[in-house]
Amino acid sequence: MTAVIDARELRKRFPGGRHQAIEAVRGVSLRVARGEIVGFLGPNGAGKTTTLRMLTTLLPIDGGSATVAGLDVQRQPGQVRGRIGYVSQLGGADELATGRENLTLQGRLYGQSRADVARRVAEVLGRFDLAGFADRRVRTYSGGQRRRLDVALGVVHEPEVLFLDEPSTGLDPQNRASLWDHIRGLRDRGTTVFLTTHYLDEADALCDRIMIIDHGAVVAEGTPRALKHQVAGDAIVLVTRDADAAGHAAAELAGQPGVRDLTLEGPAVRLYVSDGAAALPGMLRLLDRAGLPVRSLRLSEPSLDDVFLRQTGRSLRDAGDTAPPAPDHAATEAAA
Amino acid sequence: MKAATDAGLLFRRYLVQLLRNPVWLVVGFSTPVLYLALFTPLLRHLVGAPGLPAGHVLDLFLPGILALLAFASGSGPGFSTIFELRAGVIERFRVTPASRLAILAGPILASMLLMFAFDAVVVAIGTGLGFGVHAGGLLLLCLLLALLMATVAAFSIAIALTTGDISGFAAIINGLNLPVLLLGGVLLPISLGPEWMRVLAHFNPLYYAVTAARVLAAGTLTGPAVWQAFAVLTPLCVVVLSWATTVVRRAVA
Repeated sequence: MTAVIDARELRKRFPGGRHQAIEAVRGVSLRVARGEIVGFLGPNGAGKTTTLRMLTTLLPIDGGSATVAGLDVQRQPGQVRGRIGYVSQLGGADELATGRENLTLQGRLYGQSRADVARRVAEVLGRFDLAGFADRRVRTYSGGQRRRLDVALGVVHEPEVLFLDEPSTGLDPQNRASLWDHIRGLRDRGTTVFLTTHYLDEADALCDRIMIIDHGAVVAEGTPRALKHQVAGDAIVLVTRDADAAGHAAAELAGQPGVRDLTLEGPAVRLYVSDGAAALPGMLRLLDRAGLPVRSLRLSEPSLDDVFLRQTGRSLRDAGDTAPPAPDHAATEAAA
Repeated sequence: MKAATDAGLLFRRYLVQLLRNPVWLVVGFSTPVLYLALFTPLLRHLVGAPGLPAGHVLDLFLPGILALLAFASGSGPGFSTIFELRAGVIERFRVTPASRLAILAGPILASMLLMFAFDAVVVAIGTGLGFGVHAGGLLLLCLLLALLMATVAAFSIAIALTTGDISGFAAIINGLNLPVLLLGGVLLPISLGPEWMRVLAHFNPLYYAVTAARVLAAGTLTGPAVWQAFAVLTPLCVVVLSWATTVVRRAVA
């Protein structure tokens, strides 16, 4: 695979004032192939944004090395900037300027001619559904319109790689879904997308590959499916006639290969198996033959939160605000 | 070449932002006009007092107002840098291949243009009230004011980028503001003060600018005060600008 982003052992320390220095990023390595959407999933303060800012030339790299689009980030920052787009959490559009003015200036700063920029701006306005209010000041835009403009600002110069920092924070479900469609559309055009998120569903819905990051280090990596697969398999809930039947059913199923963590909940049997969809038909036949018909069933895949829980011992939902288990992490967390 | 194009683009952008935010214009215009209207009358009876040169009171006071305006116009870009830092605008520019010097120069030059517009108004009003205009001196004075303004602006932007928040920035800028202005002899010449003040003033770059401004406004183009001011402000401007460019390059906030 030709890596569009290739980072090795990236490190970043921030002076900690009265406290000891804070190691925000501790040896992060990553490779992203052309045309992938790859996400950094982790709680606030995990080092996601810091890593992103190092890769986009905004922050000096303390240790390790990185190339983006084949260029060394430390030695050729100017050329790297020409090949990438970056959309920060804040967006950074001029509120007093119109959407078109913002996009035009952005394109011109990348050194494109006036005519080229005008053409690309018109194209991007259409593609991101901004054309209807392109000449209104950004101040009047809704949250969703604003966010689409932010992303459009990141791609008006057609970068090879787009970096998105927490793209959907603060958006309502409808606007999130629409934004995700636009981001997938970028991949379809061949743009490599690298994003950070602390939303499980965003990582799951959008990313071809996920890196779970916690306390400045990557703790797990893979496709959303593979990551979830490695945790506990799928959860299956089978509802039988009554508690008595459920007990018999549990006894029948306990001997099946791959079945784990069998529990009884009234008339229901809950169990985990590595591939639920493949195991279900056999289970149903078995129970049918035993005279224990199943009235309803539920198959649920493990979530990325299960993955995070297993890798870090904490739930991602709490990780941002609860104290971490290991005392040597306290400084990082407090500073974040 | 790219730097000049970028500076031009960012100059236009900042100027448009300024013009679309009329509050700044009103504040910018009213400050010098208020000084003219509410401070000049107090000086009327001072003319001819010991230590003060003879001539119209505005010949003494108006150049100080112009220096004050340069100083105030210089801190404007710092304030908007804080705001734009918070809004992610600075970061958006820093991630483009735009020249780092242009990111600095755009706002500075736009504010400078506005400053000259204010200057023109002040001089026009002053002339109506009896200020004697000397074209050559005024032209050289414009150059001096541009140097002063660019230095203050680059300094305030760099401080804004390093502190990153309004309270830290305001503490430093306001803390420096009053002593620098008072020891620059902006309102009344330092020559009126005791010796320790006159000695201290020589460590203040603004003092040289204000002193030269009075000499230039009077029409003298070649006095020692004039070349001293340029000798102090030109290298200072270069040093502060290059420091500020480094800050833009490395800004972490």
